[in-house]
Amino acid sequence: MLNRKSVSFLMLSSILALAACGGNGNNDNQGSSSASPTSSASSSPSASQKPAKDVELRMAWWGSEERHEKTLKAIELFEQQNPGIKITGEYSGFDGYFDKLNTQIAAGNAPDLIQMGGNIKEYSGKNSLLDLTPYVGQAIKLDDFTPSLVREATDNEKVYGVTLGVSSSALLYNASMFNKAGIAIPADGWTYDDFKSVTKQISDKLGKGYYGSYDLSSDSATLASYLGSVGKELYRDGAIHFDKKDMVDWFTMWDELRKSGAIVPAEVQVANPPTAVDKSLLVQGKVAIQSGSASQISGFQALTQDQLGLVTYPNGPAGSGMVPPISGQFITAYSGTKHPDEVAKFMDFLVNDPEAGAILGSTRGVPPSSKIRDALSAEITPVDKVLYDYISLVSEVAPDVTYQQFPVDSEFIKLLQVTSEKISFGAASIDSAVDEFMSEVNKLLEKAKQ
Amino acid sequence: MQKYKTYLAGYAFLLPWLIGFLALTLGPIIASMYLSFTQYDLLTAPKWVGLDNYKTMFNDDFRLEDSVKVTFKYVLLSVPLKLAFALLLAIMLNQGLRMLHFYRTIYYIPSLLGGSVAISVLWKQVFDQEGIFNRMLAIFGIEGPAWISNPHYSIYSLIGLSIWQFGSVMIIFLAGLKQIPQELYEAATVDGAGIMRKFARITMPLLTPVIFFNLTITLIQSFQTFTKAFVISGGTGGPINSTLLYSLYLYMKGFTFMEMGYASAMAWLLLAIIAVFTGVLFLTSRFWVFYSDGGK
Repeated sequence: MLNRKSVSFLMLSSILALAACGGNGNNDNQGSSSASPTSSASSSPSASQKPAKDVELRMAWWGSEERHEKTLKAIELFEQQNPGIKITGEYSGFDGYFDKLNTQIAAGNAPDLIQMGGNIKEYSGKNSLLDLTPYVGQAIKLDDFTPSLVREATDNEKVYGVTLGVSSSALLYNASMFNKAGIAIPADGWTYDDFKSVTKQISDKLGKGYYGSYDLSSDSATLASYLGSVGKELYRDGAIHFDKKDMVDWFTMWDELRKSGAIVPAEVQVANPPTAVDKSLLVQGKVAIQSGSASQISGFQALTQDQLGLVTYPNGPAGSGMVPPISGQFITAYSGTKHPDEVAKFMDFLVNDPEAGAILGSTRGVPPSSKIRDALSAEITPVDKVLYDYISLVSEVAPDVTYQQFPVDSEFIKLLQVTSEKISFGAASIDSAVDEFMSEVNKLLEKAKQ
Repeated sequence: MQKYKTYLAGYAFLLPWLIGFLALTLGPIIASMYLSFTQYDLLTAPKWVGLDNYKTMFNDDFRLEDSVKVTFKYVLLSVPLKLAFALLLAIMLNQGLRMLHFYRTIYYIPSLLGGSVAISVLWKQVFDQEGIFNRMLAIFGIEGPAWISNPHYSIYSLIGLSIWQFGSVMIIFLAGLKQIPQELYEAATVDGAGIMRKFARITMPLLTPVIFFNLTITLIQSFQTFTKAFVISGGTGGPINSTLLYSLYLYMKGFTFMEMGYASAMAWLLLAIIAVFTGVLFLTSRFWVFYSDGGK
């Protein structure tokens, strides 16, 4: 029988063990995987020709299966052309990507090459990224780039990233569902009233389990465009430019849509988040509209026989709230990389090599180099054409504003989501949920200033 | 000299553990103590802010409040239920079954798999709105709710998963039951005691040290639960923070929102909470834990 001493001893040791593991368990981020690309360096010339030691680089990116395959193929090509350089891909879905990256940077163990999004300045401002200015014009040629694309990756007059593709937020729609319901596909310039009637009709005509749209009340891109369309703005220069009433209107609109059955109910939304491509009900042909980045269309289209398309967000009283197309993603380098020259060489390869351009297509948006773009247009795939047309359309219709990302974006997105869920599950009234939202937003702005 | 050598050998054997303890346990503990007084975004050096993190924690973080409530609910429901379930099965397995080894192994399997991501993913599939569980209910004409994506039920699906992983607790109970001398039961039978009476007057009292042990260990583990909530909620702790267990929120603060100083302070608060609970258990133990050797 256990006696007091042994019990106490076991307790003590387990308490010590406890203190050791704050976040015990499997911290491997969901869905993350890393794998070395199929070795190809073995086909390189003879070993004697190689430099003394192979340069090994790591590259991290997020995306769908389609993007993983294309990127790995491009890496393989680069390795063939450059014996002595090996690049290991560390790729995953978007969920958890930045959690992992933050940890790696803190541990001084970040990949040499890092795919970044609109949050690039959060990292460049904190000296986590390598200053590429010395390489621009030398190893990295940006002559064929629109100047604004270079500016987006410039902070304090230093270049920190190279645009991989131009994209824009968009509504993705499932055209096959529109056809099945016998409803005209929406076109640019449509309004929120159109949105309401179209989504309601689809839900009604296709029946139980089919919906006109996802619940976009939790989607920050849709919200940003909505605010623009009513003459307000989500964020600029350290402050928000909307008030409580705008948010009440916003949530009320979605609440009415929810009650009319036009958009997915709260439980379905939580179980099948639109952000995860493998869960998206748009791909499964059950929801006709969702919000996302236009460049996602190639990954989504690869998973379904249905015809997918892109349309701008609806207009409001103040016209279009669209933001002009911006760089969707950048390739950046970790400031601690030991091989900046090779890193720069690979960056240039990604955006300027015609063969790489052909392999990568539009998986990260419209290629930034006009030469590559022209080469691709010659033999364009249908889905790439949808993307190209959409991007040029947005360039035309979007008001001439310079987009500014909300500074603590991940927290803002989380806050918007929780607020939306409180309302959709009926846990709070719209009024009280919005009150809380506004006070939390102000706290976030305070935090961003620190 | 001989004695000295013996010591040396002892420490040599201890060394792997000692190095691990100092480098991987004690070091991080001390570091997190320091970080808890700083503002640290992982990318730039920590900035000393004194007690700010602790002040924010107690005054100005409604999500932390949600998280603490959810965690208490989870711990206070899952721990007793898990212990009761494990004890029940241990008693059943202690009835001189023929294939005891087989059953013991079968019932232990969930605990072996339990901490893994795979089981959490499986659990999510089973209890989804259109999951296997609801399809079974549908056979009987019951329309089950979305166990995981409805904030009213989501925490119970986590509690269910925790109870299901009763194996290691059960094994310890089983060992405890085997230690109880058979003569006591025989004597009680001769005196005319029934099953319930034997359970209440012999089994339970003699099992109290084991219960005490299991209770404390399970309590500590439950407070630290992370993987289940992370995987099942897709890392969000949602819907509406309904599965935002303390460790998950801590992780989110540290790694997603890049407030590692605040997250460190949260870790120390968790330690304090657990210390209070275990302290209370220890203090009350002398009133309800019975040691057959008189507690020497």
